[in-house]
Amino acid sequence: MAPQFLSRFVALTVLIAPLIALGGWPQADAKTLRVNIDADPSQIDPITYSELNSYQVLEQIYEGLTAITPDGRAVPALALSWTPLPAGYGFRFKLREGVKFHSGRPFTAKDVKYTFEQLLKPGSQGGLSAQFLVNVIGADDMKAGKANDLAGVKIVDDHTIDVAFTKPDVLFPIYEFFIMDSGIVAEQGADWMTKVDAGTGPFTFKQWKRGTEVDLAANPNYWGGAPKIDGVQFLIIPTGDTTLSQYDAGELDFVSLRENAYRRALSNPDYKNQIIEVPKAQVRYMGMNQNLYAPFKDKRVREAISLSIDREAMIKGLYNGAAFMLNGQTVPGIPGYNPDMPPLKYDPERARALLTEAGYPGGKGMPPVEIQCTEPFKDEIAYYANQLGKVLGMQVTPKVVERATFIKAMNAGEVAFFPWGWTADYPDTMTFLGEMWYSKSPFNRARWSNPDFDKVIERAQTEIDDQKRFALYRQAEKILMDDWATAPLPATVTVALRKPNTKNVTVTPLGYSVFQNAEIE
Amino acid sequence: MLIKLALRLLGLVPVLAVAVVLTFAANRALPGDPVTVMLSDHSADLDLAARLRAEYGLDQPLWRQFVSYVVHIAEGDFGLSFRLVHTPVIAVLSDGLKISPILALAALAIAFPLGAFAGAGAAINRDRWPDTLVILFLVIGISVPNFALATFLVYLLSIKLGVLPVAGWGTLDRAILPVLILAIPSAAYIARLSRTFMLEVLQQDFVRTARAKGLAERVVIWRHAFSNTLVPLMTQTGIIFGGLLSTTFVVETIFNIPGLGRLAIQSIFARDYPVAMAIILLFTAFYALINLLVDLLCIAIDPRLSAEQAGRP
Repeated sequence: MAPQFLSRFVALTVLIAPLIALGGWPQADAKTLRVNIDADPSQIDPITYSELNSYQVLEQIYEGLTAITPDGRAVPALALSWTPLPAGYGFRFKLREGVKFHSGRPFTAKDVKYTFEQLLKPGSQGGLSAQFLVNVIGADDMKAGKANDLAGVKIVDDHTIDVAFTKPDVLFPIYEFFIMDSGIVAEQGADWMTKVDAGTGPFTFKQWKRGTEVDLAANPNYWGGAPKIDGVQFLIIPTGDTTLSQYDAGELDFVSLRENAYRRALSNPDYKNQIIEVPKAQVRYMGMNQNLYAPFKDKRVREAISLSIDREAMIKGLYNGAAFMLNGQTVPGIPGYNPDMPPLKYDPERARALLTEAGYPGGKGMPPVEIQCTEPFKDEIAYYANQLGKVLGMQVTPKVVERATFIKAMNAGEVAFFPWGWTADYPDTMTFLGEMWYSKSPFNRARWSNPDFDKVIERAQTEIDDQKRFALYRQAEKILMDDWATAPLPATVTVALRKPNTKNVTVTPLGYSVFQNAEIE
Repeated sequence: MLIKLALRLLGLVPVLAVAVVLTFAANRALPGDPVTVMLSDHSADLDLAARLRAEYGLDQPLWRQFVSYVVHIAEGDFGLSFRLVHTPVIAVLSDGLKISPILALAALAIAFPLGAFAGAGAAINRDRWPDTLVILFLVIGISVPNFALATFLVYLLSIKLGVLPVAGWGTLDRAILPVLILAIPSAAYIARLSRTFMLEVLQQDFVRTARAKGLAERVVIWRHAFSNTLVPLMTQTGIIFGGLLSTTFVVETIFNIPGLGRLAIQSIFARDYPVAMAIILLFTAFYALINLLVDLLCIAIDPRLSAEQAGRP
């Protein structure tokens, strides 16, 4: 009898346990916008943030000196205007008056300086925004722990602040900082971000259930006008397929689809009136490292590779139309874009002729090479490998590498042949030309280097007049493409879905969404 | 008995020690590091990356990182998560800790009786239709991959019929599909074992004796034969539970359940060493404990086992 009794007892206890353990599932209000993010934010902290999920949440709560419009321009936000300093390099910012933090404290120049210092202080794990302060006078001393005060930042009065640099940094006003309430630590303690937020934006932090959701509430006192919805609920859903299923089941109002789920969405006619497509502010390119693969040293080989890629077919076949031609290394969504670059052609005949000229007729004499990328791009690298074999007779093997491993190898300049992209950090073409192809930039992963190009970029870095700077970008891009430094690849589109009753959700070229004006009917 | 239990518990210490060394080595053998993942494309900014590496103590020599890790664990401190900034590992795990073991136990609670009775039933009806039916079920249950089964059931029950939610966690209806997906292959496995054991037992002398005594067939089968298949089945439960725990990795990912399995996968990809290692250690401990529990249960059920152990020199 004992065994039967035991197994019955065990079965009963264990069946009841989950019943007790399960709590209630939070039901969203009718006016709460339910949206998806891929993973938990690393922290809802304006100082340490370094990845897109945190950014997506922070963007609704915090504001910078400037904001980026949906068409990619920087406009005044917490700063009203800025002028160059009369002596030395730097800017004087006039700050917006009458803005209040969510704590009720007024926003003043002190908070701007405090935010900058927090980003630089050793031990504060300052994330991505910290890089924008490298040229500020005294930044190095702060990082080294030699100073507690950022010498280059002077508070003139409550709503005027001067920022001085060691060398020109004309784009400083458009860099994004999340300005935080300098009184928050004294009031809430060092772990304040687990309880409240320290922003001025349209939404306030409500709660974060780790692994499940982040909830924000509307800020009725927002200086730009109170949101028309009661709040935003970010549901944490790591896979694209689950995201779409939950959207179909009516559990989400708006979803931004990454990687492969967008193909399912685009090929399904049911979504026709729910699709939002926004070109990404992301330049894509073929990395061809001349130090690692000898044939890449010949410009004709690089051009032949570009001529072998049928970009129109890729846009239709690989991307289901969610991509567009890029003839250079600038994109339409970002100021400084040059729309007049000569169109790139697909010309297998000319490609073969160039390769023969370079001494590799039919690919003979070219050592085998691997083309590498991460898992989401496996189809794309398979296409290149196949296409280059077919058109040029090159022996190319596609190889999928895990993301962290791949990025580390690219950073070290150890990948010979790879398609990759770069998303704008700020709305100016410098973010592409100056970061990806300038020889002194750590992000020049293909290790292409050209002194003439560098000189033009260095001049642009000090040119405060937009039109003059854009002219220099055109010059630089011409040098880059005349040398076939790369084969530009089609740029992609952010695909999002919104339910018919959800209005005015904005998807920006930088890949995040703005819910400030959202409405649910 | 208590001394025996204490000794067995003490025996877990070297098991966990080996697990600590292996998980530390395995985590660090992965290329890439937490800062590369944290900064992603911006990790090429060496100044920024080096600063963060120093703030997380990742610039220390590996042996020193190991020593400080071990010392901290010994003090019960698993440290701070790398991926979730300013968050202690214990806080990151606490929610998942209430989910994964419950999922696995609930699945076991369904799979064990279902499998045991189905297997025994098949054995009694050997080569007749109930046997064929059970064999068909167990072949399907064992060979259809859980992710395929999950996708099919979600499509059918959640999207087409709309009777169950697609994914998530927090209410009972959200737990039905995940538990079912976990339980089906285990039930099939248990049914297969149960059928084999039962067939074996039915051939044995004491069954023949019981029948010869004139006992009712029901009594012969269920009280004499079936209860004797339970001990060997129980000994397999530990292994099955281990399998269930590792399957929660897949099921939690499919159903977006904030349990330890999904967390482990995210942590490994993010190179969140402290969290990944803590989860692996926890799973090792669960596995060791459930096996201990099974051994004790078997001794309680079968007096021969304790006699055997007592008789050992």
